[in-house]
Parts: sequence; structure tokens; C-alpha cells
Amino acid sequence: MALAQQVQLQRDPGARSDIVRRVTGSPALQLVGRRLLTAIPVLLGVTFLTFVVMNLIPGNPARLILGINATPGQIQQTDIKLGLNHPFWDRYWLWIDGLLHGNLGIAYSNQQSVNTDLAQHLPVTCWLLLYTLVVSLGLGVLVAVLAARKPNGIADRLSLAVSMLGLSIAPYVLALVLIYVFAVKVQWFPAISNSLGSSPLQAIRALTLPAASIGFPLFAVYSRLLRADIVEQMQREDYIVTAKAKGVSPWRVLIVHATRNSMFTLITLVALNLGTLIGAVAIIEPIFSLPGIGAELIGAIQINDLPLVEGIVVVFALVTVAGNLLADLMYAVLDPRIRYGRSAS
Amino acid sequence: MKFRLLSKRTACLAGAAALVLTAAAACSSSGSSSPPGSTASSTASPGQSSITSTGAAVAGGSITVLEGKGFAGDWPLGLDPATNTTGSADQDYYNAVLGDLFELGANGKQIDDLATGYSYSNNNKTVTINLRPGVEFSDGTPLTASVVAWNWTRDLESSCTCAPQWQVARVNPKVTTSAPAKGVIKVLGPETIQVNLLLPDGAFINQMYDTIPNWIISETAFTTMGEKAFAQMPVGAGPYIMVSDSYSNQIVVKKNPNYWDKPLPYLDGITFKSVSGDEAAYEAMLAGEGQVYIDMSTPALLKESAQKFNVLNQLGTSPYDLQLNSAVPPFNNPKAREAIYAMTNFAPILQHIFDNEYPVAEGFTGPGGICYEQYVPGYQGYDATLAKQLVAESGLAKTTIQFGTISSSPVAAETVQALSQEWAAFGVKTSQHIYPLNGLIQAFLANGGKSWQAMIQTAGAYDPSSGVGVGFRFNSMSPFSGTHDTKLDTMLNNAVASSNLSTRCADYNQAAKYIADNYYGPFYFSFAPANVAVKGIAGPGLTSPLPAVAVAPAVLWEDVYDNSSS
Repeated sequence: MALAQQVQLQRDPGARSDIVRRVTGSPALQLVGRRLLTAIPVLLGVTFLTFVVMNLIPGNPARLILGINATPGQIQQTDIKLGLNHPFWDRYWLWIDGLLHGNLGIAYSNQQSVNTDLAQHLPVTCWLLLYTLVVSLGLGVLVAVLAARKPNGIADRLSLAVSMLGLSIAPYVLALVLIYVFAVKVQWFPAISNSLGSSPLQAIRALTLPAASIGFPLFAVYSRLLRADIVEQMQREDYIVTAKAKGVSPWRVLIVHATRNSMFTLITLVALNLGTLIGAVAIIEPIFSLPGIGAELIGAIQINDLPLVEGIVVVFALVTVAGNLLADLMYAVLDPRIRYGRSAS
Repeated sequence: MKFRLLSKRTACLAGAAALVLTAAAACSSSGSSSPPGSTASSTASPGQSSITSTGAAVAGGSITVLEGKGFAGDWPLGLDPATNTTGSADQDYYNAVLGDLFELGANGKQIDDLATGYSYSNNNKTVTINLRPGVEFSDGTPLTASVVAWNWTRDLESSCTCAPQWQVARVNPKVTTSAPAKGVIKVLGPETIQVNLLLPDGAFINQMYDTIPNWIISETAFTTMGEKAFAQMPVGAGPYIMVSDSYSNQIVVKKNPNYWDKPLPYLDGITFKSVSGDEAAYEAMLAGEGQVYIDMSTPALLKESAQKFNVLNQLGTSPYDLQLNSAVPPFNNPKAREAIYAMTNFAPILQHIFDNEYPVAEGFTGPGGICYEQYVPGYQGYDATLAKQLVAESGLAKTTIQFGTISSSPVAAETVQALSQEWAAFGVKTSQHIYPLNGLIQAFLANGGKSWQAMIQTAGAYDPSSGVGVGFRFNSMSPFSGTHDTKLDTMLNNAVASSNLSTRCADYNQAAKYIADNYYGPFYFSFAPANVAVKGIAGPGLTSPLPAVAVAPAVLWEDVYDNSSS
């Protein structure tokens, strides 16, 4: 806190309550608070449903760990160790209690802490998601702007063709095509990557094809919708006419005015697509042998490894909630007129 | 304006050219490219081994070996033999790092590795094994009879699926994981160890292959490192030493300078990588990112691979069969089981899916193993009229059969689909379940073994008494069996007792007939997955055939070499 503010606070106790009121009255903070509060039932709902579904699958985790020759005594001991001797609700509560204390439990399949498992595999998935988002968004915006500059022009038509290709191809099919072209034929990128390597360059090489497989369909959606929005802004909005009348250069009108105002659609779309993105990660990671949590999730579901599935689901739910929160905040950043708190009142 | 038009055209042409080039690259004939390390392409027909000349063995070099997820590519609990529930599926890592007491060589010839010989006595109830003198683990400690005794005691106390099925006296006879009683495992000298069994077992040594008593770990290293750390970095007396191990993802091993059989191994190092399946492995090999793929079984890819790589199709020892759980409906009804036999016409499946490359099997022996008999007298084959009658009488059409198999075998998955379609013609419905190995084990064990109904599996082994042999699938004591018939148990136990091969084979033929007569599970065809290697990489199990112990042959990694550069 600045010295002047501290002095002010000492002199005038009323000023402190004023600052507190201003801080707590901040629309952005109120938004964060509301979103975080709504995230709690979302997380509870997601984890509870996962818990129910995983518990419906037959099989004894203690026997999975110990093997078929385990004695009833050994199974009982392991049940107690894992908390499996408790009723369903108690087990769920114990898991929630662990979650609140930062302990996601022990994975059945490898007897390793789920926290450790996530720490090992999460970075790969995070880098993959980040790379995918940055490239698909970056290229999507670029192509949308170029296409919108002259509707039905060559850039627009070419981008339409590429986007149609992206929209009509499934990521796992695209993955195989990319492997064939860029790993087998020209050998620019690896077909499998069991680690990200020891340098950023190696990591980029390892992640490029998986990111392209997931990101190309996203790029197609982003570029088409943003292009459509920009074109609409350019053709219908008064402020564009005003800017042009004031002699602002066409590129500046396009990028600074139209594109900025079209970003709302894109942000909404990115936030909505987070779930799809995460789903794609679970499919694409195994194809490229990437040791991320998407591949872990598939393996964990197949062997009914409840703690690991729950841990990964929590991470995915948190990412989705955080992504949506970030999208809401970015609305406010992009448009100062948006005042969530006041509009509500 | 003219300039702008020109740029449009140029841009159009450039864009079109780019698209065409990409499409052309993607669609060009796969036969036009050669992977790194490959020489001339082979035109060997699928289903047969297509091996080009492998050249002389040379020392040096490192290779990457790809292993499929869902089977050999998974080791979630690490590689401590006594606790690894995926057991012999991980044979490649064990053979490389721990070595074997005995190895199974070409044509079923036994190769002495860490042991030098054995003898049976006491009516095949006592087996004495001599260890190779002077062998040291890679941590420098000696491999002695007392270390082997410690290993075997630990193995017998294990609750793991992988625990040896030796019939031995226990301290507490009612507990299967109880310690072996005094005198069961005797150390007769520094290099001599003896096992005393309760029942005669003339196949004891054959049963060692590919099972945990054959893989000996360093007691000192285990005690020093602790169970968890050891499971990640096991220490043995094999040709290679563990360098790094990322569970179910990647293992790096390097040459063991202390290996007893110097100058072997030939290679300086091996990297084992898990891949999602046959397609991913094939692409990775084409891209030069793998030199060997273990256990390829996708029929179409085998044909493709044979044109670019050395593909070694082994003679099968474990025929695919349909396990029927006779403990629960509908297959506790013999008529329902017989209906399955009568409904199944496997000839068109073999022809259309597998190009008639694999021999029909009616019993649990395969052409690569001992006691091979392709046909079983009186075997109930396809009979549509009988099938309709039996389906109606057994009420099979009123239920949905829970029909499962393992995910790592495309052959098994395709068989499940094909059979489901055939049965559908008789009004029999199925619900298909494809499991990874761990999930499959759970499916067998769930609800005391009463949750599953039908599974496509392999039943048989190089020696039917060993590994995933006939007892594993048909003995009532096995948790992976759907058959609960004490008469069959006795027949199978008798077949194990003798060390005389002709006596044993006669017993097995009788057991095969008994299984067929009681409709306990139809057999279909004998298949073993192929090993694929880049030309220039050679070794037993990669370019020269070895019998598959259970499902796949155990490659002798110490003899594998790379002369692709010469």
C-alpha cells in the first residue's frame, strides 16, 4: 500500500472503510467471488457423478492391487488402508475431506499418490493445451482478419476451404494423416513422444503434431466465426463508419476497432470449447504416446482406478471453471461498459 | 487492377499447389518410401515370415523397441517379479534386466542361462537345479542358491496373479500365500538348490519359462533399496542394466559390463517405449523412431509390414478359444454350450479376416508346441439345424451374452465381432467388452468369478501345463477358468505328472476330447503375434523363430544385434 494511503488511513478511519467498500464493491472481484462460489457445486456435482459411476463398475480394488491369491485378511487390511470398508457416503466424504486438504488419495493401479501422478503427467497436458490454444487462436485470429478484410476475396475463399477441411475432419483421423505426412514422409516431427525431451525445442517438436491434430478443427471454428463477426461489424456498425469518416486507416479500423469488438464471440467460444479440447487431449495423447493425464485418464477408467479418475476429473473441472472465469474477466477488460455488479443491481 | 488480378491468380495457384502437394504426400503409395535402416522391400506373403539375410552379428549400437499398451506396454506396479500383476506380459524387460535361469530356444531346445542343469527324482516330486558358478548381479553381489531360495520363498508368498502354481507344503496349508514349509526349498550347496513338491511334476522346468521363478533378483539390492524403489529399478544378472524407468511409458537399459556371457550382449543399449497399438507402432517404425515392434497382430498391418520390415510370424502355441463360464447361466446349461459350438462356422472368418493364414484348432495345442494335435475326434462343428434347435431348447436367444476379450489383440477383438455377427443370425444377442489386461483380470475376478459369461482368450502354451496353458483356462482351481469339473482337473494333473513326453501327450489328447465332449469351450485357430524388425536388426525371436511360451515368444535380447550400418 502506498505511503500516502497509509497516512490517509491513520488520519481518517473512515477512509479505511471507504477503501474496503471500494475493493469489495469492485465488479471484477464480485464476479470472481460469484464464479468461485458457483464452482463449488459444479465441482461437487462432477466429482459425485464420477464417484457414483465408478462405484457402479464391478471389481474389487484391493484384489486388483494384491492379486488373486490374496487372503481375505490381506484384502481386509487393504480395504481399511484405502478406506473401502466404509459406506458409500462416508467414502465420498473422506475423499472430499482429502481434496480439501490437498490429498487426492492413492491410485489403485500403481499405488502411487494421485498428487504425484498428476505432478508427473499434468505438465505434458498443460503444455499441449497451451500450445494448442496459442497456435489455434493466433492463426485463427490472423486468418479471420485477413479473410474479413475483403469478404469473398481470395484470402476469404481459401480460408473457407481450409476451415471446411478442419471442421469436417476428426482429430484422431487428422492425427494419423499428420503422422504419415510429417513424421513418416518428411520426418520433421516425431510420430511418438514418450517424453518432451530436455530442451524447449525438443518439446515443441514433440507437441507440434498432437497440437495440430487438436488445434486444426478449433482453428477452423475460431477463424470462421471471428471472420463472420468482423465482417458484420465492418458492414453494420456506426462506429466503423465514424472511424472511416475520420480518416482512420482501413487496417487500423479492421484490427483495432472491428476485431477488438468481435473478440467477445471468440472468447465465449474458447471458453465453451474447453471441454471439447480436454476430451480431444484424452484421445490424442495415447496416439502420440504422450505421457499426459489424458492418456492416464483413459487407462484409469479402463481399470476402474477411482482415485486417479477423480483426481484427473477434478483437474479438468478446475481448468474448465477457471477458463470460463477468465473469459468473463476478459469481457470486462475488453469493454469497460460491462459492470457486472452494477448491472445486477 | 491488373497487378491485383495477377496476385490473385498467383495466390490461387500457390494455395492449390500447396493443397495438392499435401494431398499427394498423404496419398502417395506407401511402397515408394523406405524407412531408415531398411534395404530391399520384401514381398513375402502375409502370415509367413519374411526375413531377409540378417548378416553377421556385430557388437554395438542401440535400438528402440516398441511395445503395445494394454499388454507388454503396461507395467503400472513396476517390475518386481513378485508383485507385478501383469506378470509375464512384461517378459522383455525381465529377460533383458534379470536374465533367466533357463531359456526356451529354437525348436523348443532348452538353453542354460543362469542355471546349468537340473534333475528330477523321487518320482518327479523333487527337482534339483544347478546354478552357474561365478555369476554376479549387476550390483556386484553373487547369485547363489540361497539368493534363489529367498526369491522363490518370496514368490510363493506372493498374492499376485503371477505367483508360481507349485504344489508345495505350506506352513499354513489353508492359506495360499503362506510361507513354504521347511524342506520345500533346500539349499544343497552354493550353486545347488532343490524343490520338493507334494505332487509329481514332470514339466517343472517347462513351467519355469516366462514365469517369475525364472527371474531372479538381487536380495541385497532389494533390501537396500526397499520394495518400491526396487520395483522401479530392479537389479538382476541379465545382459542389461536398468538406466531409467517411467512406468508404462519408457524403459532405458544399457549393456551390463558384468554379464556372465561376455562379450554378449551385442547391443550397447535398448530403449523400450510404450505405444498405443499396432498402427502407432507401424507409423513410428516407418518414421525411423523404432527398430523393433513386439507382438503385432493386426492382419492388414502384417501384410504392410512384410513389405518393408522383417516380419517373423511364429508358429502358434496358444490357440484362440471361447471360454464359457459354466458356473453361471446361460452356460451352466450344457445345451447352451453345445449351441455355441454348433452356431459357430469359423471357416469363413478365417478366410475373410485372416486370409486362411492360421491353422484351424480344435484343442489347446498349437503347431509350435509339444503334443500338437490339430483335430479332436468327435468335435462338434458347425451345424445350423442343430444350432437352431439347441438355441430354442436352451433359451439362449432370450439372454444377452456378455462377451469379452483383451484390448491388446486386434485379432481377438475382430474374432469377437465376427462371432457376434454369426450368432446374431441365430437370434443370439451379445454385449461386447474389450478390456486392457488389468481390466480383463478384474472382469474374471469380479463377483467371485460369476460376472463374466464368455471370453475370447488363448488357451495353451509351448508345454500345455505351463503359463497360460490348458490348466490356466480349464482347471477349476484357476480364477481364469470357466470350467469346474474335478474329472478334468484329475486328467490335467495326471498329464503333468509324468516326464515321459508320449505319456503326457496321450493324457492331453484325452483331456482335449473330454473338453470337446462336454462343450466346455470351442477352439478356433492357432495364432501367435508377429515380431517386426527393421532390416539389419537380428536375433532369436526377431529374425529366427522361437516357440511362443504362452502367447508370444521371449526374445533373447542378449543375442540381438544391429548390423544395419554394415
